[in-house]
Amino acid sequence: MTAVAAPVPAARPAAPAARRAADRWAGTGALVRVALRVERVRLPVWLVAVAGLTAASAASQADLFPTAESRAARAELMRSPAATALGGPGYGLDDYTIGAMVANELGAWVALALAVLSVLLVVRHLRGAEESGLLEVVRSTPVGRDAPVLAAVLVVTLADLAIGLALAAALVGTGLPAAGALAFGLGCGLVGLTFGATAAVAAQLVTHARTASMLGLAAIGVGFALRAAGDVRAPESGSALSWLSPFGWSQATRAWVDERWWPLALPVLASAAAFGLAALLAERRDLGDGLLPERPGRAHASPRLTGIAAVTLRRLGGALAGWAVAVAAVCGLVGVLAREVVQFLEDEPALAAFFPEGAASAADAALSRYLLVAVALAAAAGVQGVAAARAEEAAGRAAHVLAGPVGRARWLGAQLAVVLGAVAAMVLLGGLVMGVTAASTLGDPALVGRLLGAALAQVPALWAVTGAAVLVLGVAPRAFGLAWAYLGYVALSAMLGGVLPEGSDVASPLRYTPGMPAEPMDWPAVLVLAALAAALVTGGVLAFRRRDLLA
Amino acid sequence: MTDSDSAAVEARGLVKAFGRRRALDGLDLSVRAGEVHGFLGPNGAGKSTTIRVLLGMLRADAGEARVLGADPWRDAVALHHHLAYVPGEVDLWPNLTGGEAIDLLGRLRGGLDPRRRADLVERFELDPTVRVRAYSKGNRQKVALVAALAADVPLLVLDEPTSGLDPLMEAEFQRCIREAAAAGRTVLLSSHILAEVEALCERVTIIRAGRAVRSGTLDELRGLTRTAVVVSLRDADGALAALRSAAGVHDPARVDGHVRLDVDADALDDVLALLPRFGVRGVTAHPPTLEDLFLREYGEAVGSPR
Repeated sequence: MTAVAAPVPAARPAAPAARRAADRWAGTGALVRVALRVERVRLPVWLVAVAGLTAASAASQADLFPTAESRAARAELMRSPAATALGGPGYGLDDYTIGAMVANELGAWVALALAVLSVLLVVRHLRGAEESGLLEVVRSTPVGRDAPVLAAVLVVTLADLAIGLALAAALVGTGLPAAGALAFGLGCGLVGLTFGATAAVAAQLVTHARTASMLGLAAIGVGFALRAAGDVRAPESGSALSWLSPFGWSQATRAWVDERWWPLALPVLASAAAFGLAALLAERRDLGDGLLPERPGRAHASPRLTGIAAVTLRRLGGALAGWAVAVAAVCGLVGVLAREVVQFLEDEPALAAFFPEGAASAADAALSRYLLVAVALAAAAGVQGVAAARAEEAAGRAAHVLAGPVGRARWLGAQLAVVLGAVAAMVLLGGLVMGVTAASTLGDPALVGRLLGAALAQVPALWAVTGAAVLVLGVAPRAFGLAWAYLGYVALSAMLGGVLPEGSDVASPLRYTPGMPAEPMDWPAVLVLAALAAALVTGGVLAFRRRDLLA
Repeated sequence: MTDSDSAAVEARGLVKAFGRRRALDGLDLSVRAGEVHGFLGPNGAGKSTTIRVLLGMLRADAGEARVLGADPWRDAVALHHHLAYVPGEVDLWPNLTGGEAIDLLGRLRGGLDPRRRADLVERFELDPTVRVRAYSKGNRQKVALVAALAADVPLLVLDEPTSGLDPLMEAEFQRCIREAAAAGRTVLLSSHILAEVEALCERVTIIRAGRAVRSGTLDELRGLTRTAVVVSLRDADGALAALRSAAGVHDPARVDGHVRLDVDADALDDVLALLPRFGVRGVTAHPPTLEDLFLREYGEAVGSPR
């Protein structure tokens, strides 16, 4: 040790107030750059997916409804409460242009996608970074107290505006007028921003990223429900309830009908207020803490927490229930709408000519079509469940459990049993809900059994999609993105079936299931799919037994 | 499953490559039944990879491993009835409490003794009602330790089990391991904390770059190296001159009026016999610490007693 101690640098003299205020934001620019780098794949994927899918749907609507008469008929269908609840208040129904159709029928869903994106993005960069300890390291560098919140604001604003503008550009590309496209794109982007700001507040309230995301997603659900209820009360204008929802603000721009711009000020003001509140809350709490208390849990496991299946159910139960609610909601709405489909066809003899067996068969066609949407949702739940098993492995929990007397087949098999059982139950629930609602709206009790049967016939295809993910997990766990990509392909082929080129769905199992109740049961196809599903799952489990663990 | 005189763990020539990197490169390891065996090596030397091969999580590219007489890859489940494991990085189900995680891990092996569980929870001062995601690293480590120590098994495999524990808990851990050893259980302890290994282990294996470089009892390893001696002498200069020409003496030097030197183990007798004629006033000698051994294996400068 040297005799002379190194001089300790004197603490900076008290800075003037203005400088101290500026210090609170110090380092924001660097944080924004880091965040954009972290998101460099995810954000462009969202951008391309949202803009591309919306433009593709707009183009397909233009193909499906080429004449003013066909669009007017469509507008009549959209006047029903169920359609209003699903879409929007119905601006421009009297002169239902393609633009008005896009805004009315797609707007709420595009905005919903941006809202989900924004909630997940903000929570990841605020509470997620705080929970993992990243924010602690960042804050120990010369980065101001408010910089993380401000950086999250800037990143989500950039993301929402970029996607909104890309959306507008893509829609102009399909031939829609530019002013409406801009109102539509900005409106959707600002809905996203508003919910992102709400999530920033949620991230201050609770200690865990998961809980914060759930709060943010619940806020989206409430916003959507407010708009739906409000629009149903006052079709073609929206009631006071609609004005409480950010979704209502975006639709109030009346894109492609007669644009008005001032409603866009509402989400801007609301976002600014929410972000301000989040910054205030962030100052009033310790790093790592929430404002709501954490409850103690059980000291001993309940007798039901007996094994892998039980802990899987515990871990995934919430997510699986969420998917089940989504499936039931879609199926229920379709069932409620069934009557409108029949009504529409009875009023439009020209269209009914396409359905030789009459309006009832058209209803069946619509029901089998929407059942595919439910199957796609359940397949997403299935892939998510397999991804959760992979996450268990990557986190090292699999190694911990497998170091006990638990075989690999049992470890993976128990989780798969939960996931496969849950997705099958989901589709059956969807069939039941669709059956009951359609039976009551159409006055045909036989539909309950027929739709349950139709749902049951979809289970092998659903398991095959999930089985493909199991195979990826077993053979190439580091390339699990393949499983998601395949799911995306299957879901897109199912949802845009009529729009995509003929034969592009050749690799989707859903193509080969009979479109019941419109088509008859096809036993060979269903049995082959069941065998395929069994082979995929078994192959995945066998490969998993033979390979090294990830961690 | 194992006869008492055979090795609890026996690995010969283990090789494991990840891509082009060879994590294990012909590793040998032998742990006798009933001993506490220290497993040492710097970060990246292959300790965790070895343990994961011994647990059947990874399949070795070459070589042979037997744990309690069983093939760890083929007979994993049967073998795991008889061992308990504490990973270096403990990640448990975030939405379960510590108590639930302990019970679940216990139930997966067919239940654990509730008295032992309660005793360990108390000894490690663990609050079992807290959710795992809210635990600190040390507390997550305690959850894994309680779950492993409460299992009635003949072999404990511990991969840096005390990283993150405070000194009081570290002492408690050492008591637990001594109790386990007294009860005849075998312990394979991978650790960075050399004082812990010195306090607990009868035999150690030091590995480097995927290969065992030293293995034996601590005394045997110490015998292979030098003893540090500090002498206070009337005629320090004369002593230094004599020591410089003596065999088995390294780096004799004058430090603060004393003479200090390192002596090879087999030269100790001759060197000490040489000193009395220079008027010895005081002498301290200490055998090499494990840290000296460890640093020497890794080519660091060894020689100055601390």
